[in-house]
Amino acid sequence: MTTTLAGGRAARRQTMRRIRPRRSPAVPLLLAVWAGAAGVLWLWWSNTPAIADQAGKVLNAGRITGLLAGYLMALVVLQMARVPALERRVGSDRVARWHAMSGRYTICLVLAHIFLTMWGYALQAGKTLGDIVQQTIDSIDQLPDMGKAAIGTGLLVLIGLVSVGGVRKRLPYDTWYHIHLMTYAAVFLTFWHQITTGNDFAVEPTAKTVWYVLYGTVTALVIWYRVITPVRLNLRHRMRVEAVIEEAPGIVSVLISGRKLHRMGAEAGHFFRWRFLAPGMRFSSHPYSLSAAPRPSTLRITVKANGDHSAALRELTPGTRVWAEGPYGAMTASRRSRGKVLLVAGGVGITPMRALFETLPGAAGDITLLYRANSTQDLALWDELAKIADERGARLMYAVNSPDGERPDISAESLRRKIPDIDSHDVFMCGPNGFAQSVYEALRGAGVPARRIHHESFEM
Amino acid sequence: MKKSHPIRRVVLATAATVSGVVLLLSLKPATDPAGAAAAPPQQAGASAQGGAAAAGSGTVTGSAVQTQYGAVQVRLTVSNGKVTQAEAVQAPKGGRSDQITADAVPKLNQAAVTAQSADIDAVSGGGLRAQAQPGRRGGRQRRHRRGVRRDLHERRLQGVPAVRAGPGEGGRGRCRIRFRGRGYGHGCHRWCRPDAVRDRPADSVPKLNQAAVAAGNADIDAVSGATYTSAGYKQSLQSALDQAGG
Repeated sequence: MTTTLAGGRAARRQTMRRIRPRRSPAVPLLLAVWAGAAGVLWLWWSNTPAIADQAGKVLNAGRITGLLAGYLMALVVLQMARVPALERRVGSDRVARWHAMSGRYTICLVLAHIFLTMWGYALQAGKTLGDIVQQTIDSIDQLPDMGKAAIGTGLLVLIGLVSVGGVRKRLPYDTWYHIHLMTYAAVFLTFWHQITTGNDFAVEPTAKTVWYVLYGTVTALVIWYRVITPVRLNLRHRMRVEAVIEEAPGIVSVLISGRKLHRMGAEAGHFFRWRFLAPGMRFSSHPYSLSAAPRPSTLRITVKANGDHSAALRELTPGTRVWAEGPYGAMTASRRSRGKVLLVAGGVGITPMRALFETLPGAAGDITLLYRANSTQDLALWDELAKIADERGARLMYAVNSPDGERPDISAESLRRKIPDIDSHDVFMCGPNGFAQSVYEALRGAGVPARRIHHESFEM
Repeated sequence: MKKSHPIRRVVLATAATVSGVVLLLSLKPATDPAGAAAAPPQQAGASAQGGAAAAGSGTVTGSAVQTQYGAVQVRLTVSNGKVTQAEAVQAPKGGRSDQITADAVPKLNQAAVTAQSADIDAVSGGGLRAQAQPGRRGGRQRRHRRGVRRDLHERRLQGVPAVRAGPGEGGRGRCRIRFRGRGYGHGCHRWCRPDAVRDRPADSVPKLNQAAVAAGNADIDAVSGATYTSAGYKQSLQSALDQAGG
């Protein structure tokens, strides 16, 4: 529900007064994470009065890496617990990138921990580095919970290998995803050896409690936000496919009906993770943005047929049940900090932009949309956009390849020519990565500060 | 949306981690500064409850002490003021504890008779290791602390002679030797065994003892698999001795 007021300074001032940009909590969160890491290291520090010799050094290095790995592992799982504070305020894409980075780092720490600890044991037993394999086997045999930890570590290594770029591209997404879900099992298996074999936990009962609290909290959050919340959402709103419409060659819109959809907390710019309960599509879940403002009885998504799943959407029969999780995403009106907004959309990135174009509060002349596509036929949803632009007094521009395939010039100069006061605009961007990168550089060249460029990209 | 530099990130992260760990390790001293000065922690002579004193027959039973793996309870046979036999009426059972109990308890029993006090040392057992803590020797002097209940962990920390409680790293039969107050050679009993896992000659323990006496200052880590049992044994033994009034 928006009110677009006719022009004038008073109107612009009113728009400005309603804008209260919410800063992303990324920085305080990172500080908290570092503080936690410092606490973990302090745990090691306070339990180690001295380090006698080389064996002691190696073993203590193993202990430090082990403690950090255990701590980070909990955080890695927490990042993917779909906690709304992370998904909607920091941004699902950013959290996913953090998850990937910290996951890789954690696996490296785990491997370092294993190597150092086994080497240290070997040294203490008077053996050399060459006996490390035998030492590992012995330790797995004798120490409590090490068998489980070994299996868990094997799983982690497998998951890490499968997520390497080259391997991941060759696997179908769903296969990769289901292998990746085994991380939960791996974390569960490796947790126990930390408590029973970890030196620092044996001497310090509060450390054990803290560890249980940490992992217990993460488990509770995962269960609540990944299992219970979607169940509640879907039981409450009962979504079904209402219609499938072809907007442009290769681009379809799916209308989804349900009960009280306006109460889901969805805004323009949000996306959901959709699961269509149709044969062949039941086990895959894909994120698609809302392409229109959510209405009490209808949601709309617009999808480009890029892979198996998106192509199969065309064949959906009306009445198919839909399982949705969300809303997620941080590219919403709450990120805006200025009265004037430029929306840049590339290809199928028009989807969230179309929703924002409809709902962003603004006076005439405040909102501008730049739509980049390969040709005029690929400008999906153009009629709607033109109609909205007409009603709101917003500017609508498009950039397509010339008939002989030459790309349009989107650079700092051309942007400044078209939008003279671009440096006082907020910019929302959505599109394929190469496009987004070049537009970002153009915007920065045109004088738009980085904090006013809002972008969502699921590239890892 | 800045350009990402994955190689740069990897190099930075690795360098930062390695240098951080090395820095932390180098900041620790080589020997425990608090070790020598610390007064020997009190042996938690467990309260006399649960002890069934049977004075007539000359046996006295210490209170059952809970360890992480089960209860330990020691019964002593005393005649003419000397302990002639010690046995464990309760010892940890189940899983690895069976093997560790079978290894450790006979040694502890013998140590108790030989030492005539609770001044015995932990027996090393299975694969768990613990770093020896200088100065943390329990039971050096008998401390009569009846009626004082202590937390298990504290007991473990204080009661275990050469072991910083808990698994972790450890060595082949390195235990700290404790000499009783009257100087060398008065019975330095070190029942620390090298790895129970590997084959070891049966006479390695006495050799270790002699070597330790000769060296005068061996630095041996106990193995914590039987450390809990040993600690519990010592406490139960202590309480039995207290009851016997010896």
